[in-house]
Amino acid sequence: MRSSSVAVGLGVLGVVFIVVAALYALGVLQILTSTTSGPHYKHAVLFAVLAVASFVAANFARPKTAA
Amino acid sequence: MGLLQGASELFPISSLGHAVIVPTLLHWSFKQSDPSFVPFLVLLHLGTAGALLVLYRDQWIVIIRGFFTAALRGEMRTDAERLSMLLLVGTIPAATLGVFLESRIKTLFASPYEAAGFLVINGLLMLGFEQLRRRAERRAASSAASRVEQEAHFAQAERISFRAAALVGACQALAFLPGISRSGVTIGGGLIAGLRHEEAARFSFLLATPVILGAGIVEVPQLFSSGVPVGEYVAAAVLSGLAAYASARFLLRYFRSGRLDPYGWYCIAAGLISLALLHFSL
Repeated sequence: MRSSSVAVGLGVLGVVFIVVAALYALGVLQILTSTTSGPHYKHAVLFAVLAVASFVAANFARPKTAA
Repeated sequence: MGLLQGASELFPISSLGHAVIVPTLLHWSFKQSDPSFVPFLVLLHLGTAGALLVLYRDQWIVIIRGFFTAALRGEMRTDAERLSMLLLVGTIPAATLGVFLESRIKTLFASPYEAAGFLVINGLLMLGFEQLRRRAERRAASSAASRVEQEAHFAQAERISFRAAALVGACQALAFLPGISRSGVTIGGGLIAGLRHEEAARFSFLLATPVILGAGIVEVPQLFSSGVPVGEYVAAAVLSGLAAYASARFLLRYFRSGRLDPYGWYCIAAGLISLALLHFSL
């Protein structure tokens, strides 16, 4: 499914995931964690991977110009 | 423990279930409630992941190169590029569920009784997967052929659909239950998705590597800060890796014509015997 709007949406999602990853790494975000204080690197790594996946998916969804 | 974990990790018989049940049955002085127990298991898993990296070193080089090529181009042109994206799609559900649910699930179901019960369920799952596979083989009208010819009707890992890859990946989350085998459910999922047995095993092993490595990188530092005999633990991880390498070589050869049934029956028998031994405190 190639579409500019889908690509943009996935790109925005990727940025959101990066922000969430940073918040978990800094210990600002404590949602769905086993302890309620300190940084959560496992969560941060997960959201960093999700961000990468979103950017990859965005690049796949981007309409390609004919060579 | 290292040999036990390494040998049982890749076999579809639940290494975690064995790691919970066997020390209890043998009265080993191993505190499973100790904070260093899970990181110790993760260190053993790292040994397994190292073995898989060595076993598939050539494939991983091609897969990683394929990932970056396809990601930057925004298009998949080769089997390696497709496989790299399938592994990414398969890893995300397991990693997400692992981060949010793993510790809660392991805490809830860490007793040997429950592990033995899940081992029985794991056995039933293996038999169920093979029953479904036999139906697919009958539909493919391949029942009269030899096992190798039957397998030829099914696909390679690179041909699995992305939806199936995500489902197989999500199945890995079941393995947070001690007694349910990660390789068992992923090989079974691969069989249902139409892969050959050998290819389902290969996909399962490739899929396991990033999750195990990721979990290890995050958990192992806890081990080194908890005052445990690190040298012995690292030696156990090396033994685990050696046993895992031998297991993987055996299984890939076995699944050229073998099925999951023997492992299913083993799990049912081992689970029931363990339940009996635990019940009578033998």
